[in-house]
Amino acid sequence: MKDIKEISTRLKIAKKNIKKTKKENGSSNAASLGKALKISTELVAAVVVGSTIGFLLDNWFDTKPLLIICFFFIGVAAGILNVFKSAKKMHKKL
Amino acid sequence: MDLNPMHQFKVYKIGPEINLGNINLSFTNASLFMTISAILILSLLFLGTKKKSLIPSKIQLITEMSYTFVAKMINNTAGSGAKSFFPFVFTLFMFVLFCNMVGMLPYSFTVTSHIIVTFTLAAIIFIGVTIIGFIKHGIKYLELFIPKDVPIILLPLIIVIEIISYLARPVSLSVRLFANMMAGHTMLKVFGGFVISLGLLGGWLPLGFTVALIGLEILIAFLQAYVFAILTCIYLNDALNLHH
Repeated sequence: MKDIKEISTRLKIAKKNIKKTKKENGSSNAASLGKALKISTELVAAVVVGSTIGFLLDNWFDTKPLLIICFFFIGVAAGILNVFKSAKKMHKKL
Repeated sequence: MDLNPMHQFKVYKIGPEINLGNINLSFTNASLFMTISAILILSLLFLGTKKKSLIPSKIQLITEMSYTFVAKMINNTAGSGAKSFFPFVFTLFMFVLFCNMVGMLPYSFTVTSHIIVTFTLAAIIFIGVTIIGFIKHGIKYLELFIPKDVPIILLPLIIVIEIISYLARPVSLSVRLFANMMAGHTMLKVFGGFVISLGLLGGWLPLGFTVALIGLEILIAFLQAYVFAILTCIYLNDALNLHH
């Protein structure tokens, strides 16, 4: 009976320690570094994807420069949205 | 010819040409270096886990460190619910890391400096994560494209923007790795070319630059593998835990 009690108190302490390390690791520098690097290319990639979609749709519907212009700006908006989202996430963690 | 900085990225076939229908399946130098990386990873893990001693040898230490590194990364970014994806993320991280590092050796070929390789990896992640999201949440996964508290008039525009920002993920993931590796190796080669063309008199300065750049390149090789793996975790997190 005594052994069981001892084990249960030990378990409690160990669980507390795990929780502590989890909290400490939550806002590690490495994670934010990864997010910072994510932002750098996200902006460009969204513009490229938007323009490509516009170009393909233009070829499809035969409406040359119209859709590519629209989707270029939508791509820019998507890029800014991506950056905004990442920044928001980082802010939440800090 | 050898001074051309882009010459190092040339893919040529080794051995006979193999054609399967319209697809050219010849063994190239890119496949050779991918195989070398895979064999290196396998032998490292095999040797590292062969003798499980309490006081680890150097190889065992490296293996255990890489294990805890990836396990911690998954736990921090994707939560404990993503533990079952550890083998996938670990394989991805080790493969990209070893391809980058093998590419740093002289006379070798950097597999990750070709966008088709990085884009294939990114596409596998993108499709896999999307499928996981649909399996986990069903049709509700499409809610990812509908942000909260948006007026109905703006909804069509917002949905298009959200879909494009979702589709941009594999592009940004692959372009980041490919561009970093290609730019770095081209720069090294350009400075190496300066050493030869300036000769004994002026070649020392670019030689010093090359040495410094190699240090930077090794850092970038590691960092890019890390970013590639951590972004996989972030995308997994988005798919597993909707609206966070």
